[in-house]
Amino acid sequence: MEERTGRGQGLGLRPARKALNPSSAIWKPMRSCPSKDPKQTSVEAFRERSNPRFDDDDNLRSPNSPFLVGTCPDMCPAKERAQRERLRDLSVFERLNGNPARTSPHLAVKKFCRTISTVDIQESDIRPPPVLQRTLKYLMNLVNSEEHPFEFVHDFVFDRTRSIRQDLSMQNITDDQAISMYEEMVKFHIVSHNRFARCCGKSDLSSLCHLNIEQLMKCLLTLFKLYNLNRLSKSLHTNEAEFYSFFVLLHLGDKIPKMGDSLSLWYRQLSLPILQSKKMHFARALIRYCQMGNYKRFFSSLEAEASDLQLCLVEPFLDEIRAQAISYVNYSGYKLHPYPLMHLSKILMIKEYELEDLCHVCGLETSIDEAGMKTLPVKQTKFSLPRSGFRSYCLSAIDDVKRRKDL
Amino acid sequence: MAYLSMGEAHRRISDYLSRFSDAVSSQDAAALSPLLAVSSNSASLQSLADALNVFQDSNRLVGQMERSSQLAEILSSLLRCIQSYRLGRFADAYIALEKAANAFLQEFRNWETPWAMEALYTLVLEIRLLAEKADRELSSSGKNPEKLQGAGSFLMRVFGALAGKGPKRVGALYVACQLFKVYFRLGTVHLCRSVIRSIETARIFDFEEFPVKDKVTYMYYTGRLEVYNENFLLADQKLTYALMHCSPGKEANKRMILKYLIPVKLSIGILPKQWLIEKYNLIEYSEVVNALKMGDLRLLRQALREHEDRFLRSGVYLVLEKLELLVYQRLIKKIYVLQKQKDPSKAHQVKLENIVKALKWLEMDMDIDEVECIVAILIYKNLTKGYIAHKSKVVVLSKQDPFPKLNGKPIGS
Repeated sequence: MEERTGRGQGLGLRPARKALNPSSAIWKPMRSCPSKDPKQTSVEAFRERSNPRFDDDDNLRSPNSPFLVGTCPDMCPAKERAQRERLRDLSVFERLNGNPARTSPHLAVKKFCRTISTVDIQESDIRPPPVLQRTLKYLMNLVNSEEHPFEFVHDFVFDRTRSIRQDLSMQNITDDQAISMYEEMVKFHIVSHNRFARCCGKSDLSSLCHLNIEQLMKCLLTLFKLYNLNRLSKSLHTNEAEFYSFFVLLHLGDKIPKMGDSLSLWYRQLSLPILQSKKMHFARALIRYCQMGNYKRFFSSLEAEASDLQLCLVEPFLDEIRAQAISYVNYSGYKLHPYPLMHLSKILMIKEYELEDLCHVCGLETSIDEAGMKTLPVKQTKFSLPRSGFRSYCLSAIDDVKRRKDL
Repeated sequence: MAYLSMGEAHRRISDYLSRFSDAVSSQDAAALSPLLAVSSNSASLQSLADALNVFQDSNRLVGQMERSSQLAEILSSLLRCIQSYRLGRFADAYIALEKAANAFLQEFRNWETPWAMEALYTLVLEIRLLAEKADRELSSSGKNPEKLQGAGSFLMRVFGALAGKGPKRVGALYVACQLFKVYFRLGTVHLCRSVIRSIETARIFDFEEFPVKDKVTYMYYTGRLEVYNENFLLADQKLTYALMHCSPGKEANKRMILKYLIPVKLSIGILPKQWLIEKYNLIEYSEVVNALKMGDLRLLRQALREHEDRFLRSGVYLVLEKLELLVYQRLIKKIYVLQKQKDPSKAHQVKLENIVKALKWLEMDMDIDEVECIVAILIYKNLTKGYIAHKSKVVVLSKQDPFPKLNGKPIGS
């Protein structure tokens, strides 16, 4: 029997038992069949096995319904395809030859449905894990395509991945397959978070941005529960520490939607192996540097230790930290020694002209000294953080870092 | 176990039932409480449980002896609870107790005076303790531990019953504290908010009317919440209140309060004396305090590493981390004082390079840019008065009070 480790409550679900015949080419349902297990025949037992804490608010599950086993072979059930063709409810990505009323099994992807009543669900409407994996792969490839504006791609993938999570939940798939799919989806949200920050200035993106971070946090929290459910010994999953670090790093942003408790409270429930892992140590250190204002060590650690995904996640928060650094330098400097921008730009990992721009955005003037070098005259009084956020100057500086890492 | 006759078993059960009934009719809460204290493992309850194992038909006995159907419902569930508890079946015991408690609550609502308050307190405590035991039992057998959560819901109902205009409202704080304990145990601390709001903003409650014991517990928990949310001034107020009003002799409670109060005090620049730390066995803070006194960053980091687990569990780790700035301030002050001794006229100019050297001596590897950064922060946060002459790589300190004390204001405010 798998050992239950870790603190706090589990999901109340029996960890999935491996398929009896792993070499079989035919996929087998990855959970114990209720009718065969004599302990699980009572209604009470069913209630025990479902747990509203696993289902996020996207899913309506009656506690007494048995878990379904999907049989839909396509990315979108045929019934839904036909219906949406009729109603001309096809996304631009699903249209066959641009025809708003025609799609195909290779293009249509099942939509997320908020109000599913469990009575109406048929197994032919639900996709089994291999199909879900295929669907996810297809969606992730779409993200990289340059054909359409990113907001549309994001919107489509956001919705369709939510539907994947819904199918996973309805079939109570909580094994390694679920873990790897959730990890992929978290990556998608991180990349989107980064891309939204780069096109800041368009006001209609801010709600998309907000919703994206919200969904990112929800996926992370569910993923953490999955890691716990699948724990065989005291060791962590391959990527577990890094994904925990993402949750920590989200706290760098002041304006992120808080999911309840402070970091101190969240740490109380984590196991020591996770808290002391390299990735978590790094994330915790970054938060410490940020809160103290130690911009020097913040950026130097970032350069030395951050993984690509961590960088991706942290990038949109960098300008706020840089602006704060500028305000410290401005406040504490000596009037007769204007601060050299080149020097500061190296510490803040930003191009000199972008730093100059950032100073201006924060209401500060820059100037040029006798040697022709750009400087920041200090003790200016008009510093203010721009209300509409930053343009996100990190592009080139971070790309340089990434390139340096590849060398 | 000595042989128990049917007759003796029958007698014990009837005895319990009539004691319960008498306590209710004479409105004697002190007599009622021990009959509800399932987890107290009192001799009388244990002997009752033995009797229940022998005399299987206690329900019929209850029906015979108890004319009130309400009391009968309470009693038959209570007996089931006591029996299950003795047999070590905690989940079953909890389920039975919850039934009994719900029925009791209904009766409590009907009784006009708050005579049964003490008994209600006992019941509320038992619900929580039994739920915790039940959850441990469920977890270890691979099942979903949801009894404590259920206990929370029940306690909210009790709270609701007490949150009215009548004299029963004085019990609300006790129940609130039990709820805090449940939520802290479950990790669902955000649920405390609605309870706090009810206590602090409802006009029916006057905080001063509540018993001191409950006020202390309340301030302890709400103080801890302020620590987690880093509202150090409020945390100081509440935890100090709890400490001041803690009854003499309750050393364990004082220790618990100090465990959180010390980091808070450190954050506002107040250092506890070593005798306090030793008296209450909070040695984990010794090195932290020394680091602050000596400006020894290495010592602070060492202390955080050594007690990392303990500090993370109690939730004060991030608070202690923030003390680094104060340690830097102290270090630079020491350098300044040394310089003053050598050459008072030049003392107010501290070369950044000297700070780098001092840190290196402490085995802390920091380059001059980082030192400049830290000094800039200290100046910005008013922990140091002066300015940095970047070109000369010198920090020029103000001639007057260059290292202001925090004076009760948390760092960074």
